[in-house]
Amino acid sequence: MAQYDFTPRIAPNLDRHLVFPLLEFLQDSKLYPDEEILKSKIELLSKTNMVDYAMDIHKSLYHTDEVPQDMVERRAEVVARLKALEEAAAPLVVFLQNHNAVQELRADKHYNLQMLNDRYQIGSQQIEALYQFAKFQFECGNYSGAADYLYQYRALCTNSERSLSALWGKLAAEILMQNWDTAFEELNRLKEIIDSKNFASPLNQIQSRIWLMHWSLFIFFNNDNGRTQIIDLFNQDKYINTIQTSAPHLLRYLATAFIVNKRRRTQFKDFIKIIQQEHHSFKDPITEFLACVYVNYDFDGAQKKMKECEEVILNDPFLGKRVEQENSSSVPLRDEFIENARLFIFETYCRIHRRIDMGVLAEKLNLNYEEAERWIVSLIRGSKLDAKIDSESGTVVMEPNRPDVYEQLIEHTKGLSGRTYKLVSQIMEHAQTLATR
Amino acid sequence: MASKFWTQGGSDTEEESSDYDSENDDLTQTDDPAQTAGNRYLTVNASDSDDSDTQKRVVRSAKDKRFEEMLVTVDQMKNAMKINDWVSLQESFDKINKQLEKVMRVMESDKAPTVYIKALVMLEDFLAEAMANKDAKKKMSSSNAKALNSMKQKLKKNNKQYEEVINKYREHPESEEEAEDEEEEEEETDDSEIEDPTKLDISDQEGVSEADEPDDQESGWMRQMTKKDNLLAKQFRDPKAATWEKVNKWFKEIVAARGRKGTGRYEQVEQLAFLSQVAKTPAQKVEILFSVISAQFDVNPGLSGHMPVSVWKKCVQNMLVVLDILMQYPNILVNDSVEPDENESEKGLEYTGTIRIWGNLVAFIERVDIEFFKSLQCIDPHTREYVERLRDEALFLVLAQNVQDYLEQTGDFSAASKVALRRVELIYYKPQEVYDAMRKFTEQSEDNGEEGEESKVPEEGRAPTMFIVTPELVPRRPTFPENSRTLMDRLVSLIYKHGDERTKARAMLCDIYHHALFDEFSTSRDLLLMSHLQENVQLMDISTQILFNRAMAQLGLCAFRVGLIAECHGCLSELYSGGRVKELLAQGISQSRYHEKTLEQERLERRRQMPYHMYINLELLEAVHLICAMLLEVPNMVANTNDVKHKIISKNFCRLLEISERQTFTGLPENVRDHVMAATRALTKGDHESAFNIIKSLDTWKLLKNKDSVLEMLRANIKEEALRTYLFTYSSSYDSLSLDELTKMFDLSEVQVHSLVSKMMVNEELHASWDQPTRSIIFHEVEHTRLQALAFQFTEKLSILTDSNERAIEARIGGGGLELPMRRRENQDYAGATGGAGRWAEGGTAFNQGRQGTSEGRSGYGGGRASGMGQGGGYLRDRAGQARGAGGYSSQVSRVSHMDGLGRMISLNRGVRV
Repeated sequence: MAQYDFTPRIAPNLDRHLVFPLLEFLQDSKLYPDEEILKSKIELLSKTNMVDYAMDIHKSLYHTDEVPQDMVERRAEVVARLKALEEAAAPLVVFLQNHNAVQELRADKHYNLQMLNDRYQIGSQQIEALYQFAKFQFECGNYSGAADYLYQYRALCTNSERSLSALWGKLAAEILMQNWDTAFEELNRLKEIIDSKNFASPLNQIQSRIWLMHWSLFIFFNNDNGRTQIIDLFNQDKYINTIQTSAPHLLRYLATAFIVNKRRRTQFKDFIKIIQQEHHSFKDPITEFLACVYVNYDFDGAQKKMKECEEVILNDPFLGKRVEQENSSSVPLRDEFIENARLFIFETYCRIHRRIDMGVLAEKLNLNYEEAERWIVSLIRGSKLDAKIDSESGTVVMEPNRPDVYEQLIEHTKGLSGRTYKLVSQIMEHAQTLATR
Repeated sequence: MASKFWTQGGSDTEEESSDYDSENDDLTQTDDPAQTAGNRYLTVNASDSDDSDTQKRVVRSAKDKRFEEMLVTVDQMKNAMKINDWVSLQESFDKINKQLEKVMRVMESDKAPTVYIKALVMLEDFLAEAMANKDAKKKMSSSNAKALNSMKQKLKKNNKQYEEVINKYREHPESEEEAEDEEEEEEETDDSEIEDPTKLDISDQEGVSEADEPDDQESGWMRQMTKKDNLLAKQFRDPKAATWEKVNKWFKEIVAARGRKGTGRYEQVEQLAFLSQVAKTPAQKVEILFSVISAQFDVNPGLSGHMPVSVWKKCVQNMLVVLDILMQYPNILVNDSVEPDENESEKGLEYTGTIRIWGNLVAFIERVDIEFFKSLQCIDPHTREYVERLRDEALFLVLAQNVQDYLEQTGDFSAASKVALRRVELIYYKPQEVYDAMRKFTEQSEDNGEEGEESKVPEEGRAPTMFIVTPELVPRRPTFPENSRTLMDRLVSLIYKHGDERTKARAMLCDIYHHALFDEFSTSRDLLLMSHLQENVQLMDISTQILFNRAMAQLGLCAFRVGLIAECHGCLSELYSGGRVKELLAQGISQSRYHEKTLEQERLERRRQMPYHMYINLELLEAVHLICAMLLEVPNMVANTNDVKHKIISKNFCRLLEISERQTFTGLPENVRDHVMAATRALTKGDHESAFNIIKSLDTWKLLKNKDSVLEMLRANIKEEALRTYLFTYSSSYDSLSLDELTKMFDLSEVQVHSLVSKMMVNEELHASWDQPTRSIIFHEVEHTRLQALAFQFTEKLSILTDSNERAIEARIGGGGLELPMRRRENQDYAGATGGAGRWAEGGTAFNQGRQGTSEGRSGYGGGRASGMGQGGGYLRDRAGQARGAGGYSSQVSRVSHMDGLGRMISLNRGVRV
């Protein structure tokens, strides 16, 4: 299954801190040996300031209580730096904690700056310090603090570059705190900036988009509406181009979203084309499943792929999110995916068949005979399927749905009378204007 | 080339003159008055014909032939003289005059050849003799006498033109001064040879010094110097005494003479080369060497001809020496933007500051490359010479590599990228095998090359005045990585980083071509799409467009090799749409039937030609294109036989098919086209076996590397398309068709058949569905009954009627006709009050309300205010009507499933669109 694990491809596009959830997931899924994961965690932490955490991991990895000297030193260093930054940012922090004072701030940034400068002696230096402090907080793992400070920093900052990175920081912090709704708002804000801003080179812009898309995976697959939103975002021309050129592995998520989302049929066809184009550069059970059903009409293959897809979903940190319910844990997305995929197969299968043996159908759908029958009956009853079951021969017979000739004729002539009527009224009107003249 | 000519020419001249020597000796010795004139001339002519035998070796065949003809005629004349047959003599005389014209044309000279003059002299003498001999005259038959008289007049008239020459000639054979004679003979022969068009380039130099043989510069230099050269040599006889000023003075003088009338090009090269040896400072040496190189480029003045190979080689050597010096003295900067100080080059070895020298290495490199390219264009590709010349490619690659390295060292990356492009353009079209061969060749020639250099070193040593001895710092051998891809990647990435627009575009195209050559279709397609070259290439220069066409052709071949038929067709169809493939790929001049090209156009086109070794095989290309078109078009054609308006995928193919169907009898296929047409006929019947066999019998497949796999792919594709064609054609005759039957018929696996048929069903190309329990296809009845068809026709007519009504009304009252503005002006006062004004005012805003009931989605139809719809798009209405006409009834026509390959390629839109 490891070949379908995208962590190595996704991780470079994420913030260091955002990789932790992925590693946690991998640890749970037991895809890799524990030690390797722990080691990579330490590796990851070494560049951050979460020294305590690193120490803990170190202990559990080597089963000792001793901590390497450099970690201890680093800890002291971090603490000292934190102190220094805190002091630097102190005036502003104090100000911001004072509710009455904060209410004096207005929407006008320049006024605010002026006011702060005049009345509290808070200049650009302190504001800058606030940013550094927030960043440091973030690196220490204090995400909520960082998010707050960054929010306030954005309200005060005038430098657009800095503001942008503050926004990235805020987004990361929100994601890590799992505030999905706020995170989604931040995401949209960021997207607007990326789309409208003039980048030094197109490459930078693409890079930003790739980051944005990767980060958004956290939000979309944890949010109720996420599956629609992900299609909205990823399927925009600019973003789909970016995916195709630089990050084809994101197609997996888009494909999954399309499968579990029933309403997006129009875009779906285009998406199938994209998958076809990209099949040389990217292959994944999920996209292959779509290709089987919609391109090659290979239903046996589709069925096989469906099983693989299940595995993939279970092992994907974004898709395979578990929901613990009382004493049983389930992966909601998997169930949904399977159900929909089955429907896809069945739908296409019915379209090109007149008569289908129930046994074969059951097999194709990964169900037993009774289940299949029940499933089909419910479909027919829900008028999703225009068919009848012939239980004597054990077959489903499709109702032909060719357009009726008479209907076509009526269709053709329907508009004519209306048009003629309008024509007449036009002439009348014209005659009237002539008369009034 | 020059060397060959000169050595041979020279020896020939000597030989000839010696011939004349002996001949004249003979003449003087045997100048016996008793001897008849005829006999005398007989000997003369005998020696002359010998002479021409020797000439045969040098003179080109056309010229040779003419000469021979002339000699034969002269012989005939002699025979006629012997028997005193004036009638035949007269005929021969007419003949020789005609031949003279031809000879003159071939040799492009305005001077009659000696043979002719001799014949004239001989005739004159003979005539005089005959006239003098009254008795003989009386004895002549009447026709003979008549001929004699007319001959006399003709000769008189004719000889007037050549009087001078004849007199000269008469003088000389009789005079004793042989030297003069010899000289003149020599001059004459020289002239005749110089006029040969292939050797034109030397003619200018002729005037100055005939004896100056530029090629044996080491040995012959001192001996054969002109006055000026002598002076030069005298000046520097004692090289130690030469000062910088002296050298500089001479240098300036020689350079100033450049391009002036009477300055020999070779001579100048020689003088400068000599000066470069006596140069006092490295900077001066570089400066002089630059001039040498420029002068070498000047050797060939025409645009169409190319630089002599030997000069080219020397030029490359000079460039290498320049590089040696530049490497040795990094403080010497070469630049062409600033005019350097007059005495900049005086600064000697000990001077450490930067010395600026005027010059442009890149321009030189490019010129060298162009000359190389031109020489390949000119040389006949089937000769050994061509192969020899191709070997020199390595020489150029070394030079380019060194220059590039040097430029990179000096930090001039944009110039380096230009040089890199030159290298890329020599490599991109080489498949790995050819590349390997080239690499091996350079490695092998290492030993030979070293010997060559050793022999060169003492030569230099012999030159007495070498002041600035330059060690060979830059490598004289190119280093090639194992894989041509690696080399390409390295060069191309440098270009992408630093090159200008054109360089980048060209490099990109080469890159695409190279990827395609290595069967990496998706990579090269992505490159093509991302670079947006398809849109921009029309704005580029022609040579880049040709490169683009080549890349597209190669991309098509690549798509074919990997089995992407539709993509392949997309790439190639445009190339073949105009029937000008040769011209588009610059592989030979195509003749257009309809308009003649002017000479100028033709010359331009000739200059653009690709050298032969870079050709893309046109036969293969045509085969690939036609086969792809066949595979796409045949099922499409069959599927839409009843539909008049159906979309044609390949117009070219359809036309060819039409032509071949018009033939009453079809013979066995001979060329590519016939083969494909025969295969098409088989395929239309669903006979995949014979279709494949016909295609397989094409010769061109042997040009493919992975022939077997390609043919296998082709077989699979033909089977599939045969199945589709069969289903389209015969579906109406079947009620049901079992899967097993189909698999057997078309030798396909069940899965394949199932997938193919399902695809056709889903795309509504085939009105049928599977019956799963019996594993068969059930065909639906889709044909309308007579009544239904009539009803449809009726409705169709009704809507046409409504349409025309609408249009008529629009034209009358509210439409966007031309007369309306005028009417509006008339009614202006009250127009505002009425509904018409509102309509006008808002006519521009499109009221796009798609109608639900009709499938055309036509834009809203506006009535006046009374109708409640308010404003109608005045002129939009018309357009909507037209659109409706086109799209209205085709909605039930099954959709053409094949997408136009090219359209698809373009619409992939994968570019970095920001």
